[in-house]
Amino acid sequence: MNRSHLLLDPHRRGVPGLARMRRYRDDDAVDMAIVGCGAGGGVLAQRLARAGWRVVVLERGPFWDPDRDWVSDEAGSSHLYWNDTRIIAGEDPVEMGKNNSGLGVGGSMVHFAGYTPRFHPSDFATRSVDGVGADWPIDYADLRAHYTVLERELPVAGQRWPWGDPHGYPHAPHPVCGAAERAWEGARACGVTMRVGPVSITNGPFGNRPHCIYRGFCLQGCKVNAKASPLVTHVPDAIEQGAEVRADSMVVGLETDGGGAVSGVRYLRDGTERLQRAHAVAVCGYSIESPRLLLHSGIGNDHDQVGRYIMVQGAPQIAGRFPELLRMYKAPPPEISSEQFYETDPDRGFARGFSIQTVSPLPIGWAEHVLADGHRGPALREYMRDYNHWSVLGALCELLPRAENRVTLAGETDRFGMPLARFSYTRGENDRANIAYAKRVINQIWQAAGAQDILTIDRYAHLVGGCRMGTDPETSVVDADHRVWGVPNVFVCDGSVMPTQGSANPALTIMALAARLAERLAARRISDARRRAA
Amino acid sequence: MSRTQATDFSEAGHLPKVGDEGSADPAGLPRQRRGTTPQMHGRYPDFDVMQELDHWDERTRELIVSRVEAVPQRTFFTEQEFATLTALADLVLAQDREPRVPALAFVDAKLESGRGDGYRYDDMPDDRETWRTVARGLDEAAGEPFAEAPVELRERVVGALADGSLSGGAWAEVNVTRAYGIVMRDLLEAFYSHPWAWNEIGFGGPAYPRGYQALGVDRHEPWEGREAFELDPVRDVKERGLE
Ligand SMILES: Cc1cc2nc3c(=O)[nH]c(=O)nc-3n(C[C@H](O)[C@H](O)[C@H](O)COP(=O)(O)OP(=O)(O)OC[C@H]3O[C@@H](n4cnc5c(N)ncnc54)[C@H](O)[C@@H]3O)c2cc1C
Ligand code: SF4
Repeated sequence: MNRSHLLLDPHRRGVPGLARMRRYRDDDAVDMAIVGCGAGGGVLAQRLARAGWRVVVLERGPFWDPDRDWVSDEAGSSHLYWNDTRIIAGEDPVEMGKNNSGLGVGGSMVHFAGYTPRFHPSDFATRSVDGVGADWPIDYADLRAHYTVLERELPVAGQRWPWGDPHGYPHAPHPVCGAAERAWEGARACGVTMRVGPVSITNGPFGNRPHCIYRGFCLQGCKVNAKASPLVTHVPDAIEQGAEVRADSMVVGLETDGGGAVSGVRYLRDGTERLQRAHAVAVCGYSIESPRLLLHSGIGNDHDQVGRYIMVQGAPQIAGRFPELLRMYKAPPPEISSEQFYETDPDRGFARGFSIQTVSPLPIGWAEHVLADGHRGPALREYMRDYNHWSVLGALCELLPRAENRVTLAGETDRFGMPLARFSYTRGENDRANIAYAKRVINQIWQAAGAQDILTIDRYAHLVGGCRMGTDPETSVVDADHRVWGVPNVFVCDGSVMPTQGSANPALTIMALAARLAERLAARRISDARRRAA
Repeated sequence: MSRTQATDFSEAGHLPKVGDEGSADPAGLPRQRRGTTPQMHGRYPDFDVMQELDHWDERTRELIVSRVEAVPQRTFFTEQEFATLTALADLVLAQDREPRVPALAFVDAKLESGRGDGYRYDDMPDDRETWRTVARGLDEAAGEPFAEAPVELRERVVGALADGSLSGGAWAEVNVTRAYGIVMRDLLEAFYSHPWAWNEIGFGGPAYPRGYQALGVDRHEPWEGREAFELDPVRDVKERGLE
């Protein structure tokens, strides 16, 4: 049960009823303090509030009001990103910022593209099936029902999905723009099956959320409330059910009670440090911030596992040029995709696979693409003037988890007094082979489509891992119920718990994990744990 | 660069990697007739995105109008740094004459604000310092104030910056390839967030609350720009008084 879409206002975009939101005092020990209001934290808050838990969410960023705070503009949207410095290192450093993490109520989904595929059953057992990566302590069947419910709550639009565990979607597929039409023709011509969607974008009204208007600014925050993020999909209901979402509150440490449990969270608000008492804490700050907070608090790291096995997806983008005007800035960037290459194929010479999706950058994104292909000056300006003739496909390649790809604490501190995160990343042999193969397939698609020219950018997308779930404290950070090994009342519930990432975009799976955790906590009345801690 | 701009954009010969002699000279494009483009190249000569501002939400409108009307004053860079970096920006953005998008002024304002981009390479100083180092390094590499050096020398130095081959002096303090990337991306963000650049490339600009209806190959909203080749060249020449 989730009434968020009905609780929103049909004429204004901000979440109504904030003045009436329940407030908890700092010394009022709540059932669960949640750190971060993104994909994981937002869903967890809503589900637990529904189950009668007293919940406070502490969110470092603002409580967004799309009418007031967001613009229909690329450069003007930089306040949506987590812009505090992270140090990047390794042989293949991963750039942070606009490309991978956000802040504020809604988290990174505020400026995520909107693709919401499920993981495949094989993703949960890559070690046993393919001899690489790691097995999860849960499997696809544990998430299946949650996927179905969430696809209705977001809601997801798309054609019937033939890959992984085949399934349909509640909203019909969206129309596609000229750029996607050309990509689709090319794919068909070389035997690559593509489908429209799956995107968490309304196709038709949904409660008080309007239909998408095809304006193409999904990565700048949807001013229409058509694209899903917890701000519109779960927070309204959470608040109605008595949860407090306390924005502008940066958590800087978990407070221990001396007996091995945690008694609350220390946070900064309006420049003062405060302590919210809680019987249990869920850390939902995403793959860099969750490990940073645990490391800084000295929690859960007895076996040197916190911060390890962080993964990104190889996300090269290749553009094809066509005679006609395609105007890729129209319609949402996520339009059509393929998971035909998702599973291992021994003939390809590497394990696991990749997916292919349209990406359609706006002008600044396109300029970065042209720059990366090696152009500047008159040549760059010429490719930019040619913008409307291009269509862009991206791959998402599954890169394998490696212990040495990790977040550690740097010597410097930030303005909150917390040590900066240092994220080191290096690809392996299988990763390089996967990316190279995916690029060849996209090049073939463009050739088959009759592209007149091709431009390429190499990049990464999506962060997961860093507090992975497992069956053993020596090789993981949390157990199958997201509980930090050795600490009775601290949970991690966000993208960082993923042991592998498949080649699907992660948000829907993060939400499904949160929904599952809430169901298990509510069923077992974890208040046991809270009584023990009290 | 002697070829004139192809007028039939269904062909790709004007593109740098396709044409025999690199990219075509934009001087062959018609002159912009409505609104402004950088250097007035008119690939969409009758499209002026600023005519659409009544259709934008108020927040967005204020922001875009201020980009055109309230160019930030130099505060972060010194006068000399600014002169050097303006010469760099003009080269890499191919802005050889007015009207120019004041890209460096926006970069100056961003650096002054202290807003970062969320990351720093472990072998790099922070972006503010990188920018100053690049300014110093360009003057060193030119052996004189970069802005006063002959254009061939400036182009050689920028080529060496782009391929990472500058070394010694200021360049020993940074990873040159990364410094080039940081500088370019700041400049490109400033340039391509300016409505004059949108006019040039035919980008529809802000689209809320109006949205789009005409999706599909070769389809356009009534107000969206048409490319130059869709115009009758004879009439075009007459209208511009070029006979
Ligand atoms: C440009 C872009 C495009 C993307 N496209 C897609 C896509 O198409 N499909 C898809 O599935 N995924 C996509 N993603 C990824 C997706 O958005 C994330 O994987 C997902 O949102 C992560 O969920 P999370 O709950 O782990 O973290 P988040 O959603 O990032 O939420 C974490 C929240 O915690 C807060 N926080 C962190 N630390 C603290 C602290 N110490 N105190 C208080 N608050 C804190 C943050 O401010 C943030 O709001 C995209 C991401 C980006 C950036
Ligand atoms: S294209 Fe649709 S979903 Fe994307 S921002 Fe616009 S209205 Fe929202």
